[in-house]
Amino acid sequence: MSDTAAAVTVRPRKPRPQIRSYVLVIALAAFTLFAARQIGFRWGSFIDMWTNPLWDRFWPVPWDWVFNRHNVFDPLIETFQIAIISTVIGCSLALPIGFAMSKLTTPSTPVFWVSRFVMNIVRAIPDLLWGKLLVTAIGIGAFAGSWALTIFSLAVMVKLFSETVDAADPLPLEAARAAGGRHTPAVRTAVLPDVFPAYVAYALYVFELNIRASLVLGLVGAGGIGRVVETQRSTFNFDRLLGILIIMFAIVIIIEQISVAIRKRLV
Amino acid sequence: MTAADVIVPEQSDPPTGRPERPMAARNWRIGITAAIIIAAMWSWTGLDASFQDVLDAPGKGWNIVKQMWPPDFKTVVDRGAVGKIFESLYVAWIGTMIGAIISFPLSFFGASNVAPAALRVPIRLLFNAIRAVPELIVAMLLLTVTGLGPWAGALAIGLHSVGTLGKLSTEVIETSDEGPLEAISAAGGTFIEKMRWGMVPQVLPTVIGYWLFRFEINVRASAVLGLIGAGGIGGELVSQLNFRNFPQVGAVLLMVIAMVLIIDTISGFARRRIIAGSGRKIDDDDHNASTEALAGLLLGDSIMRPNKPND
Repeated sequence: MSDTAAAVTVRPRKPRPQIRSYVLVIALAAFTLFAARQIGFRWGSFIDMWTNPLWDRFWPVPWDWVFNRHNVFDPLIETFQIAIISTVIGCSLALPIGFAMSKLTTPSTPVFWVSRFVMNIVRAIPDLLWGKLLVTAIGIGAFAGSWALTIFSLAVMVKLFSETVDAADPLPLEAARAAGGRHTPAVRTAVLPDVFPAYVAYALYVFELNIRASLVLGLVGAGGIGRVVETQRSTFNFDRLLGILIIMFAIVIIIEQISVAIRKRLV
Repeated sequence: MTAADVIVPEQSDPPTGRPERPMAARNWRIGITAAIIIAAMWSWTGLDASFQDVLDAPGKGWNIVKQMWPPDFKTVVDRGAVGKIFESLYVAWIGTMIGAIISFPLSFFGASNVAPAALRVPIRLLFNAIRAVPELIVAMLLLTVTGLGPWAGALAIGLHSVGTLGKLSTEVIETSDEGPLEAISAAGGTFIEKMRWGMVPQVLPTVIGYWLFRFEINVRASAVLGLIGAGGIGGELVSQLNFRNFPQVGAVLLMVIAMVLIIDTISGFARRRIIAGSGRKIDDDDHNASTEALAGLLLGDSIMRPNKPND
């Protein structure tokens, strides 16, 4: 008894930090400093950034130019079209491929490994690099941009979706197979209803991603509003640039709000 | 209570055959499917491409892939591609550090259980506003103002990361346990002590996990930034593509893929180790949690969890 009483009054010994964690922190700090030097880090640029006289040329925004239909509105429509068609095609293809990429529902082991391998490679190339590659392959314009976003959104979607399928309840599928269901109908009736809400939620996410990506695709020549941004920047019309940016900003915020509202209703 | 008081439910015939499908749900489904198809068809008209173009495109793509093989590593390595790969990594790392260091303290003031509304609302607005601007656009503006170079790219990535990491950290702080904070107040702790000993240890593992995720995303972003002249491997890819040196393009692409996959693997390992803590086996739940977080981080938004019962 006296032991316990003594133990309460004595302050517990502070655990000593391990040498390993010190070494890790120092190594990371050293790497950070080294990396900062390598890329030309300057404290001064935090100040220069704001005091640069070039900012004055961003104001006032020529609203009559911005609201002219041909200047901003039409390329913006093209942006939406790229995002919509790549989301629809990418997500439709993701349904069967996502099932093939899950251990639970894959038709065969080779299909499982091949689809995973290919999709991991595709996902490792960022969306704008796909844009640049496809512009080179099939020519400048919205068509190449749609291909790029379709491929990239397919790769993102199958990753998210296949892991949801992995986590799905395996028992209904077992029951469907025990009742003699063939592979596709069994998956369709036993797994699909379970994962479909997640599929729709991810599809909305991918749509949001695609809207954001398609806004900048034009910087590499793949169509949409980014093309206008690039031309105005290279001709130093910064006031027009700011007008376009404000509109892009509004669109991203509106789309996000809509998407959040729909996703909330889905739950 | 007599037997007569017991209400016997009216006996009805057991349903035969399949129950009728609810009409409302079916109408919704048809309506939404039709809307999606119409939207897709409308989008198709804007692409200015014929059906033949669609059939030709895979062939054109394959044609280029064929020309990329075998990849010519020698030329690109001689041109300093390895150094540029590392430059991309440095840009991503510094960007992540800027984002982490600025967003972490700010996110406390954005959390509803820490800060008053007067402080919280402007900080949240700031996070959301930053998140809405694509980092490529930020980089483009900074390049115009500060001149070309990797440092502008790192700044752009860092700025964008402040928005996404800030939003996610705020949410982590808001869902933390109040108990430790109360205990510290009861023992007479000040606000700073409450945060340091009650809040930070709770949220730090999750928040560091988010930093690592953001690093993975920033590696991809920094590879892209080279496209507009912000240094790194992207610039090399663009110049090789513009000269249509496809064997070199193949080599650069393979290097980018290798970089991204290696960083993902290392960072994924570190993340799981941090979240699981030492001595615990990493299980399936950790993997699934990391996927959910990945989905969220692409947009800097917390992911909806359809399978979670408590949502």
